[in-house]
This record gives sequence, structure tokens and C-alpha cells, in this order.
Amino acid sequence: MGIHSVGTSDVEAVRRVLGGDTDAYATLVARYRDRLARYAVHMLGNREDAEEALQDAFVRAYRSLERCDDGARFGAWLYGILVNRCRTTGARAAKRGRVFVRDEAALNGVAHPSAAEQTEGEDVVRWALARLTPEYREAFLLKHVEDLEYEEMAQLTGAGVSALKMRVKRAREQLQAILREAERV
Amino acid sequence: MFEPEEELIGRVVRQLRRPVAIDAGLDARVMEQIARLPARRTAGPVRAVWRWLIRPRAIRLSPLGALAIAAVFVAVVLWRPDRPSSPAPASARAFGFVVVAPRAATVSLVGDFNDWDAARTPMQRTRTGESVWTAVIPLTPGRYRYAFLVDGVAWLADPTAPAARDDEFGAPSSVVTVGGS
Repeated sequence: MGIHSVGTSDVEAVRRVLGGDTDAYATLVARYRDRLARYAVHMLGNREDAEEALQDAFVRAYRSLERCDDGARFGAWLYGILVNRCRTTGARAAKRGRVFVRDEAALNGVAHPSAAEQTEGEDVVRWALARLTPEYREAFLLKHVEDLEYEEMAQLTGAGVSALKMRVKRAREQLQAILREAERV
Repeated sequence: MFEPEEELIGRVVRQLRRPVAIDAGLDARVMEQIARLPARRTAGPVRAVWRWLIRPRAIRLSPLGALAIAAVFVAVVLWRPDRPSSPAPASARAFGFVVVAPRAATVSLVGDFNDWDAARTPMQRTRTGESVWTAVIPLTPGRYRYAFLVDGVAWLADPTAPAARDDEFGAPSSVVTVGGS
């Protein structure tokens, strides 16, 4: 899947925004909002911080749109801004001692395929995810949930491909250990 | 009995890929915040071109392409076009060289002053059909070794000038000393 462009639409929207058509930016916000929101909520663990990070990422992207070298890669570029923003917010939350406070309204607030599937299992998954270090959680989400290639992840995070592979591997191992431990009790 | 790792991770991923709910007003808040920002300066043609020129770009290059560019660079650095020599310094004086070569098709003056490059100072016949060849070049004060190259193959020392004693090329050459004013 990756962060592929959506053809000429992003290019055209970026061109129009740079030409002074502010409303064209709404198209880009609507297009990327849900996917970015999912990452931010899982990364930060609560809706309030996720929405703040997401809104800030969209505004920052608008203000520095001239620096987006290629409109067709707007999505990847925006993703990079959000990843950095989540890191900042996560670090700040850690200093406040509020690391990954579960937000049921955010995480269970959408209609799932069946009510039975959105119960304990999901809570345990989110709890396990929250126990990973931010680096491992970030790598796991980008690789497995957002389905990015390692090269794309390297561009977004600034980490090397080898380091990212190691983080994903450790994240998988730790998730497995945490979830199996949870099943025992 | 635990499920295999792949199935466990697959189950986790499926759960995490489900959409999450966020405030429906987020889009509007973003656009409101943007609307309060100073108006974006629209790019005129000149500004657009300038922006295109100064924008850094990552260039992807195959090893073969890199080699080709390196080869072009080396060729440009090493290439010495057959162009007129650079303007002579103020202390230079015009110095004439003359040689008689009745059967020569071409004669070149070569020496320390033109890096012994036969292409840089071709000599001219004084008149069509004549056997006298001449060249006039500016020389600054100093001592120069030189010779004539006939038809591109035969080295000929100047019979009217002293022979160069420090000949390191194994070919006959002469020496001329240009004095200061």
C-alpha cells in the first residue's frame, strides 16, 4: 500500500493552493484525515492529543507547502510532519506523566463490523501497544498498520532501514509476549 | 495452546487498522486556522521560476549515469580548445620566428611558451609558394626552448639560434632569451 499519491489530484490541489486557492486545501485535509487520525490516535493513545497533533500537522503543512518538492508525494510529506508532531506530543505527554491514557470514545466510537469484536480483545491490543516504547510503537504502526516500505519509513523517521527492521522485530516480539502473558491471567 | 506468531500479529494488525473516530469538526478548525493566516503570496512567473531553481532536489542516478557524468567532467577539464591565447601581459614583446622549409606542407612553432602544443602556434608562409615560414608571438622576458615541427612529424631546431643544451625530449631544439625593457 505505502503512501502513494492519488494521481494528479494531489498535484492539482497543491498547485491550486500555492496559486492562492485556500479552499483547495480542504480537499487534501478530507483526503488524508482518517488515515492520519488512525496513526495519531494509536501512537498517542488518546483522542485529544491526536486531534491536536493532526490539526497542527495540517496547518504546518499548509504554511510550508512551498517546501513540498513534489505535489504527487504530498501524502508522504504530510505523513512525515505528523510523525514528527506525534513524537513531540508524546515526549511532552511523557514529561507530564500522562503516557497513553486510553480513550474509549476515540477507540470505540465508530461502528465496527460486529459488537462482539470490539470488546476485550481490542482493549488488550491497545494496552499492549501502549506498553511498547515510542520507537517500537512507531515502527510497528508504520510497517504493519500503515503498510509502508522500510525505505519510506526511513524517509519519514530519519532512522536507518536496519534500525527500523530491528525495531519492528522487537515490537512484534514484545507484543507477542505481552499478549500471551495477558492470556495467561 | 497459543496461536502462532503470524496469526497473533495478524489479529493485532486487523484490529488496529479499523478506523478511529475523531471530532467531525476537525476539518473546519483546520480551515478556520488557515483562513486566519496571512494570505499566501501567489507565485508570478518569475517567482515560480526562481522557486523552481532554488528548490533542492534529490537526484537518482545509476552508477552508469554517474560514470558518464564523471567522464564528461574530466573531458571538459582536460579539453584545451584551439583558441587564441589569452591576452599577453603588458611586459610581453612581439617576437618573430622564421624558418625555411621548402617542401613542408605545415610548420608549427612549439616551445615552452605554448606547452609544446603543435596546434597552438601554426606558422604561416610569407607568400603562397614561398619556402619561408613565420610566426610572431608575444613573449615576456625569460628563457625559452623551442623548435619547429614540420608536417607534424619532423622536429627541426632553429639553425639561426643557439641549441638548447638542456634538451630533455631527445629532439633538437633551440633557445631564445627575451630580455626585459
